[in-house]
Order: sequence, then C-alpha cells, then structure tokens
Amino acid sequence: MSPAGCPHVNGFKVDNWKQNLRVIYQCFVWSGSAETRKRKAKSCICHMCGAHLNRLHSCLSCVFFGCFTKKHIHEHAKNKRHNLAIDLLYGGIYCFVCQDYIYDKDMEQIAKEEQRKAWKLQGRFFPLFNPSVGPSGVGEKYSTWEPTKRELELLRHNPKRRKITTNCTIGLRGLINLGNTCFMNCIVQALTHTPLLRDFFLSDRHKCEMQSNSCLVCEMSQLFQEFYSGHRSPHIPFRLLHLVWTHARHLAGYEQQDAHEFLIAALDVLHRHCKGDDNGKKANNPNNCNCIIDQIFTGGLQSDVTCQVCHGVSTTIDPFWDISLDLPGSSTPFWPLSPGGDGSTLNGESHLSGATTLTDCLRRFTRPEHLGSSAKIKCSGCHSYQESTKQLTMKKLPIVACFHLKRFEHSAKLRRKIPTYVSFPLELDMTPFMASSKESRMNGQYQQSVDVFNNDNKYSLFAVVNHQGTLESGHYTTFIRQHKDQWFKCDDAVITKASIKDVLDSEGYLLFYHKQFLEYE
Amino acid sequence: MKMEDMSLSGLDNTKLEALAQDIYSDLVEDACLGLCFEVHRAVKQGYFFLDDTDQESMKDFEIVDQPGVDIFGQVYNQWKNKECVCPNCNRSIAASRFAPHLEKCLGMGRNSSRIANRRIASSNNMNNKSESDQEDNDDVNDNDWSYGSEKKAKKRKSDKNPNSPRRSKSVKHKNGELSNSVNADPYKYNYNTGINYETLGPDELRSLLTTQCGVISEHTKKMCTRSQRCPQHTDEQRRAVRVFLLGPSASSLPDADTMVESDCYDASDGQVLMSRLQWDGSSDISPSDSASSKASTNNSDSKKPKKKKKTSLGLNSTGGGGGGSGSGGGSSSQSSLVGLSNRKKKPKLPVPPAPSIYDNLN
Repeated sequence: MSPAGCPHVNGFKVDNWKQNLRVIYQCFVWSGSAETRKRKAKSCICHMCGAHLNRLHSCLSCVFFGCFTKKHIHEHAKNKRHNLAIDLLYGGIYCFVCQDYIYDKDMEQIAKEEQRKAWKLQGRFFPLFNPSVGPSGVGEKYSTWEPTKRELELLRHNPKRRKITTNCTIGLRGLINLGNTCFMNCIVQALTHTPLLRDFFLSDRHKCEMQSNSCLVCEMSQLFQEFYSGHRSPHIPFRLLHLVWTHARHLAGYEQQDAHEFLIAALDVLHRHCKGDDNGKKANNPNNCNCIIDQIFTGGLQSDVTCQVCHGVSTTIDPFWDISLDLPGSSTPFWPLSPGGDGSTLNGESHLSGATTLTDCLRRFTRPEHLGSSAKIKCSGCHSYQESTKQLTMKKLPIVACFHLKRFEHSAKLRRKIPTYVSFPLELDMTPFMASSKESRMNGQYQQSVDVFNNDNKYSLFAVVNHQGTLESGHYTTFIRQHKDQWFKCDDAVITKASIKDVLDSEGYLLFYHKQFLEYE
Repeated sequence: MKMEDMSLSGLDNTKLEALAQDIYSDLVEDACLGLCFEVHRAVKQGYFFLDDTDQESMKDFEIVDQPGVDIFGQVYNQWKNKECVCPNCNRSIAASRFAPHLEKCLGMGRNSSRIANRRIASSNNMNNKSESDQEDNDDVNDNDWSYGSEKKAKKRKSDKNPNSPRRSKSVKHKNGELSNSVNADPYKYNYNTGINYETLGPDELRSLLTTQCGVISEHTKKMCTRSQRCPQHTDEQRRAVRVFLLGPSASSLPDADTMVESDCYDASDGQVLMSRLQWDGSSDISPSDSASSKASTNNSDSKKPKKKKKTSLGLNSTGGGGGGSGSGGGSSSQSSLVGLSNRKKKPKLPVPPAPSIYDNLN
C-alpha cells in the first residue's frame, strides 16, 4: 500500500476486482471510441436525481451512479457500506471512510493502462520527437515525469533546486575563443538556444550507438549540461572543436571560417551521428530520416520548371537546411519590388525609404526566373528542348528556418563583403512563399486574404548571427532570445543583455526563426 | 439539464446563447476540477514541494545588466588563463591557443607536415648548411606567425611529451634539464630558436651577449637566445663564444650569483641584469657601452634579436619577450582577429650588417 492509499481498498480487492475495475474504466471513464462515448453519455446519469454532471461518481461495488455535489453517492455509500467510488470525469477513486481521494498503486496502474488504450483508440497524436508516431496516427501517450520514491527522497534532502525563471542566468554561458573560433561559438550559441533542440537534449533523448568516444551528439548533450549547470565562467569547447575537425575535415585548420559553412557541417555530422535515436527504423534512408536534426531543421524546397511552349510543369522537391538569399548591392541584379504588391506591409515591416527587408529578399528568391535560351530544358510534353522558367517555393517549412544573407561575394571580378542593411522582422509569416500559396495564385485567386486562424506558417526570430569586419578577417557575434523577449548578446566569453532595438538594427548574417505554433505531427 | 433529443432549430437566439453559456461554464468548471485533482495528487504523492526553490541561492543567478560587466556580474576579459587538455596529445594547452595547437597536433595545418618533414631531413643533413638555410628561408617566407608563437609557448612548458607527433625522434629537447651531455651533442638543440650572429654588428653583439647565452649551434650556426644560465650550454662555451665574437677582452661573463634566475626570457630580465651589472661594477662593459646598452635595453626593438625574414626564424618569441608576449596576450582578447591581424603586424626589424664565419667551437 502506498502512502497515498488507504486500508479500505482491501475490502474491494477481492475476487476478480482487476477485471471489474478495467471494465468500469473502459465503459464509463475513458471513452476510446464514438460508441463508447455515446453509451457513456446515455447511461451515466445519477440514479437519484437524473443529473448528468455535478461530478458524477460510480460506486465500485455495484452498479450505481450518483452525483457528488448533491451527496447522492454519499448516501449510497452509507447505506450500502460501499466505501469506494470512482469519479467519471477524471478517474480518481474516492474513499468515503477517509473522506478523500486516494491513490492506490495497483489501481493507479490499471487506470494508466486503460487511459493509454483509450487514447490510442482515439488516435491522439503526440509530441514531435517521439519516433513511434507513424502515419496511421497511433502513438504513445505522452506522460509527464513523476519522480520515483528514491528520487523524491533525494530531492527532499537536497533543497537547493534551481528554477529557471525569467530573471535567471541559467541556460546562458560564455564560450572561450580557442583561436579564431568565434564562428563556431556563434553557431553553438544559436543551437543551444533552439527551444526544441534544448528540450530534446535536456530530456536525455539521445541514445548513443557509436562505439568510440567521438559522437558529436553526445558532445552536444554534454554541452547542454554545461550550459545549464549554473557555472558562470565561460565554457571551453575544445572537445567540440576536436570532434568537428575530426568529422568535417574541410573545416579543420587554424584559420577563420565561415559560420554558415560551419552550421551546415555541424548539422550534417549531427544528423549522421543521430542514427541511434531512430529506434532502428529508416536509419539509412536519407530521404526519410526521423532524427531530431531532420525533424527540426529540414524543409522541402519545391522547384517548378515550366516549359514556355506547352506550359507543362516538372516539379522536384529538394530538402534544405537553410535558405541562402541574395542581397541588393551584389553584382547580380536585384529584382525590382513589385509596386505595392501583396505583402508590402506583411510581417509588420515598413519600407523605410527603400531599406531592403527580409521579405523583399524572399520575394526575390521565390520569383519566376526565365532561364534564357542558353539553358533550354528538355520538356517531356513537347519532347524537345524549350525555353522555360524556373520558380522556387517552399513545399514544407522546417520548424527552425535559417536564413543566410549572402554577404560575401566571390565573383570573378571581385571578392568583397556586402554591407547593405537588411531589415528583418521579429515575427515572420511565410505564407506568401509557400508552394500552396503559389498554386492558389495560379488558380486565379490573386487576393490572398490573410488567414488569421492559420498559424502554420508563423515564425518568430530567436537568434541572429552578425559578422563585423571584412572578407578576410572579422569577428562573429550572436544575439539570442531567452525567456520570450529577453535578448542577449553573445560575444565569445562575454554575455550581455541586449535590447530588441539592438537586435533589429544589426546587420544580420544568419537569421534563425522558430515556428510559433507547433503542430503535433 | 436532462438530455433529450432536443431540436435546436426551434430555439431563438437568446436561448441558444444561454445554452452555449451553460456548456462553456461546465467546461471551465471541469477544467478547474482537473487542475485541483492534479494539485491534490501531487500533495498526496508527496512531490508538490518540488516546485519550491531555495530563494537565497536563486539570487545568485539573477541577471546583471550593468555596463562593464556581463550578465553574471563579471568583468570582461578576465579569462586569459584558461587551460584545457588536448585530446590528442594530452598536454595542457592555454585555451586561447588551442586551435593552432590542435592543428599542428593533428598534422592538419598548411605547414605541419612540411615542417615535420624538414625536421627529419635536417637532422639527417646536419652539415649541409646551404640546405638548411634554404629551408629556413622557405619557412620564413611563408609568414607563419602562428607556428612561431606556438614554439614560444612550447619553450615555456616544463614537461614536454617526447612522443608528440610534432617532433621527430632525433630531436629531443627538454627544457630545464641539466645535462652533461648537452655539451657533447649540440645537434639536439632546437634549431629554430637562435640568432644569426653574422648579421649583427659588434655593439649589438656585445649587448646581446651580456644578456644571452649566445653559444652558437653548430647545426644551425645561430646563437642561443636563452639566458646566461641556459642549461644547454656550459659557461666554457659561453666564454668561448664571447672570445670569438668580441675579441679576447670580452671574455668574462657576469658571475653566476649575479644572474637573474629565470629560464623565462623577457625584457624585464634583461633590464634587471643590466642594472645588476652596473651596480656590481664587475662588468667590463665600458661606460659608453653601458650607457648605450642601457638606453637600448629600454628600447625593446634593439634588444630584440634582429629579425629579418631571410635569415632568422621565430625570434619574436624568444628574444623579444616583451614584444612577443605582448602580441600573444593581445591575441587572446581580440580573439578572432588574432591570426590575420597579427600576421600583418609582425614587426620588421632593420637588417644588421657584416656576417663572419664561425669556426667549430666544439
């Protein structure tokens, strides 16, 4: 008997009590299907007053429903000496002798199992990084953590617990520069402040299958532990550097590297090392990987090539981890903005006397591009080489969208950094750039009414990586968001508080946006 | 409310609204009940207290938002002395120098394999002066600043791992090791840290020799830049060098007692040494020399061994302790600008004249 139970259940725990209890749970408490729900609704009424609500309880020893608020079930208990009743709404068991709800271990176990069964039947879907969610929607119930007895004891003896409140430094930590490694530090800061990634690692979800000590995911996990340890001195990420150099040879070497390249390489290595978390399913299928990196960062880019003659469209979808955007001021011509076109005030950006916005860059990215006569594509409709236009749109948006502003120009004529200021918003709506929007536009629905209730494509900024300096040498810093609307500037080992204005006025090189509303798969 | 098969079409708006209101309030009530049950269960099962935290210790973690300090309330730039252990060679390395070290350690740098190969080659070709000169030139022209300061950092370590991949087996050099055999085996000296005496004038040589060991390595034909108590060479050797370079009159070295005890060579050592020599009066540096030398010791440029790209290597690190460590220190604060900005700032010292041939002292 657990401390929260009571001795009076012993009278109940006789004969076939487990099965009886299960039946009660299945029929009257947790409804798995529409029929059971209907049956529950029809049959569960108070035997004395006929009410449906009023906290209906069912007697555990016989078939009797009584409402709690009007004490009908209490009367029944007194008369029949049936001491236990079950609440039909939440499944709690009430003991009339103790006059309180009790939690008996065995009965709780049965309750949990029945609830799980019912949820499965209902087809409820569960949080993202639960790999057992398959296409049919059957999933495991997500249960919150409850401490075991031993854990409770430990916790009681160690009262100095750290709670992460809004004014708390836990979760923030500086990173020592190991010698031109500011590019690595800024990406690490952005990754450690990605909410989903943080939750994944802090809940210990990585199961390592690599034999040697060189798993980068384990090192990331360790990194999160360091960040949340409460230490104030900056962390020295030397092991991380060593591992990255070992696994991404093209980045190895003591010289300044590009942060964007590092991001892609790091995601790639993490993705490769994540195989263990897939539960073995689809481990080697690159198109269908279910590792945490793919779940968070991978999106689908749709490329439509339209033949100019027969207007046949051939579509391909490529996965991407980031979106590289051209900037005005580069030697490639920047597409002129459509005059007052849709979305000119979308995303709350204002066109301040011609300042380029992120939305402009995105619009340029998704514009139809005429491929020219030198690049004719073989059209399967016409069976000949024809001129065509190509257009990119977003087929599937990742949970974390990373925008890379191409500030480093490496053309034949010159190599330089493009310092054009690009204003980016705190909240971004990607709807106009989706493949589905493009389809509806092509179908004649030119007026894109902003669907207020469609929250799928809304993103919030949470990290900005900036570069100061020239093409040859410079320094990277990051702004990251913690605790909703608190921004911090991470400059290697020094973390300081920053204002939203600082963030939005900064030049911007890599912009990280996180989906606002997470849809369970 | 009894459940019957009521048809809603017969009801007007107010009744519909009342119904909706009822349903809504029932839902809210049920939700609140659920919350009550959760709390009740937590209290009964005994884990309700988990939400409480120790208020005092929470204060330690409050964010600080003041100029000049970071969010932890710490002053900037106090992290210069952080160290870490290299996973490859298990040596303790200063954190801000870890990346260049790792590059060499893993053999990935532009120059790592070339330097390693050359070391192996030159240890087999000791007597071929021109070859080693050429290789030196080759190396220096690459402008590999990082390699130079890495050597400097290495020199200061007391425990060197003789098995590190950077060394070829034949070149073993232990700092601080007093060895009688040093005399017999000059080839073991780390040939990269030395001064080419041929390019220095007599005054410069004299001032140099008052503060440095100066023994010329037969292998590289360069002068030892370590202190007068350099364990690699004996006093005998030092005397001989002075005789050779400065003439018989300049053969006496300052006494061991008056020497500054330190293996670590930097500008301050030299200055202390100079003042001691003058105080003791035992130096045979003439007053004019001492005045000029003293003047020159204050000027770190002339005290620094003359470094010219074509004739000497990595001297920045050893002779000019002040200058070398200055730029090294600067690097750790201006982290990412380090490699390249320092490359550009490498001081170019004037070319001294008049080489002369060195006989075999040993």
